[in-house]
Amino acid sequence: MKTSIFKTLAFAGTALVIGLSSCGNGGDKTTDANAANDADKQILGAGATFPYPLYSKMFSEYGKTSGIQTNYQSIGSGGGVKQIMNKTVDFGASDAFLSDADIAAMPAPVVEFPTCLGADVISYNLPGNPELKLTPEIIAGIFLRNITKWNDKKIAAENPGVSLPDMDISVAHRTDGSGTTFIFTDYLSKISDDWKTKIGAGKSVNWPEGELGGKGNEGVAGMIKQTPGTIGYIELAYAIQNNMSYAQVKNAAGNYIKPTIQSTSLCANGDIPADTRISITNSNVDQAYPISSFTWIILYKEQNYNNRSKDKATNLVKELWWMIHEGQAQTAPLNYAPLPPKAVTAAEAVLKSITFGGQPILQ
Amino acid sequence: MTPYDIQGLQGRRVKDRIFTSLVWGLTFSCLAVVFIILFYIFEKGIGSLNWAIFSQNPKPVGENGGGMLNAIVGSLMVVSIAAILAIPVGVSVGIYLAENRGRKLSDRIALAVDVLQGIPSIVIGIVIYVWIVKPTGKFSSYSGSIALAIMMLPPIIKNTEETLILIPTTLKEASLALGASYFRTTMKVMLPAGIGGIFSGCIIGIARIAGEVAPLLFTAFGNPALNFNILKPVDTIPKVIFTYASSPYDDWHRIAWGGSVILVSFIILLNTIIKIFESRWKVQF
Repeated sequence: MKTSIFKTLAFAGTALVIGLSSCGNGGDKTTDANAANDADKQILGAGATFPYPLYSKMFSEYGKTSGIQTNYQSIGSGGGVKQIMNKTVDFGASDAFLSDADIAAMPAPVVEFPTCLGADVISYNLPGNPELKLTPEIIAGIFLRNITKWNDKKIAAENPGVSLPDMDISVAHRTDGSGTTFIFTDYLSKISDDWKTKIGAGKSVNWPEGELGGKGNEGVAGMIKQTPGTIGYIELAYAIQNNMSYAQVKNAAGNYIKPTIQSTSLCANGDIPADTRISITNSNVDQAYPISSFTWIILYKEQNYNNRSKDKATNLVKELWWMIHEGQAQTAPLNYAPLPPKAVTAAEAVLKSITFGGQPILQ
Repeated sequence: MTPYDIQGLQGRRVKDRIFTSLVWGLTFSCLAVVFIILFYIFEKGIGSLNWAIFSQNPKPVGENGGGMLNAIVGSLMVVSIAAILAIPVGVSVGIYLAENRGRKLSDRIALAVDVLQGIPSIVIGIVIYVWIVKPTGKFSSYSGSIALAIMMLPPIIKNTEETLILIPTTLKEASLALGASYFRTTMKVMLPAGIGGIFSGCIIGIARIAGEVAPLLFTAFGNPALNFNILKPVDTIPKVIFTYASSPYDDWHRIAWGGSVILVSFIILLNTIIKIFESRWKVQF
């Protein structure tokens, strides 16, 4: 009896091993024939969570025509920078451009270029869901906890005709390190010296006391939805998908701008430096929504490393080239803002500078 | 009986009732939590279970359908390879501990196993990242399996040890007295006698790692395509639930709930198997 149990187990174990190994052979045939066998056609990327839905759509579309199989994992902007630094991925992605310290820490020169734009909206829960108009001073005041009542004179002065309730403002923010927080605090640091000296900009900051924390866009959105009188910042795409009410913000040119894909895209209509490392929050473009930012892709300038083939490098750069051209058609349906022409030109120059063995990959 | 005694007796009865109802109440609330969670998961997820979830790879936002075939295959691959790696090692260590009780080395090993059990899973993931992924420069399914295998070891070792200790020494002595070698005694007498306990230890180990996402984030990594190669990254069910649940899209939330139902059903199945084995293969002494 006992030995038969052992035999059964041994048999099951062997069967499992054989099954797994035969799967290994059989699988390659059944999966996409163009892609699975050819390591040069498999691209691996990782980083920012914010553009993940867009990238997964773009890579799926590109794969259909080119046979390139791209695996993008949304592990966070910080993770994306770390993985490209460790050379475990073909490209990294980040919602914040590389700091000078990050660039210095890289084992080899890297390049980065923007792929699309995102915006933070200021969303709130008030009786009647009025569309509020907020100035930079009011936003900084609310998030610094200097303005604590919804019927504060400063808010009322900008919103004639809106009946503001005598209600405490409760403020919600992200607790996890996020590109969304970076964009928002970067904006606040530009418009408020008080914010700049007390709190500063970063992916996670020391928020003033008495604010609520939530994880992810959904965490902050949940707090806003559940508690009347709550205000917080979330991504534009998230707010549109979930039908949340959000404010018009007075931009640097003095106009009240509703956050839309178009007004976000306009932010980047100014001049872009050659390395594309530019913060475009508080843009002075006339009709631009001020709390917006690029999201970047990072890769090595010299692609001949870790025994990579030239074919793989060429496939990678061609795919990235497609992302800033044909791929831009995927942005608007998913509520991302496409790159304006000047940014595309800057990104083109970056991609053309990428080399393999010293020779430019794109002719 | 003096009045004093009766008074004391009543007091004890009251105490008895209080504690009985307390135990009942706490037991019930504990069970209620389990059932509420299960009910909630199945209520939300059962509707999103369809053939597509089991037969299709994920699709990008905005395209209807799509499933998690890649993650189901990936989870099976990562978990079964982890089991193949961990079970021989775990059972061997368990045998050593049971056979060498009281020795200095055994005490240290037992302490090490306890410490290993307490190490957060994310730390194990990072260690494997530094040991395997970073030097090879590649995320891979097998590195995830190694991380999970390390997590599986403590329950396997402990169950093996505890089961073998319970086997009467007379059984072992009888085998040795008949001239069987030490190796034969262990393999043919001790292990078969304890197979029920050892097997449930292995399944407890599998149940423990099947829902883990933290050790896989930087090892098995993830892959939207179907992959059978252990040298390449793969998706796993918990990882897909984690990614999809934090996305803003309803369709992805639906798939995440479906994945939760699959995962929870798998764990319930494993626990049922443990119960069956324990009752069927229990050797009475």
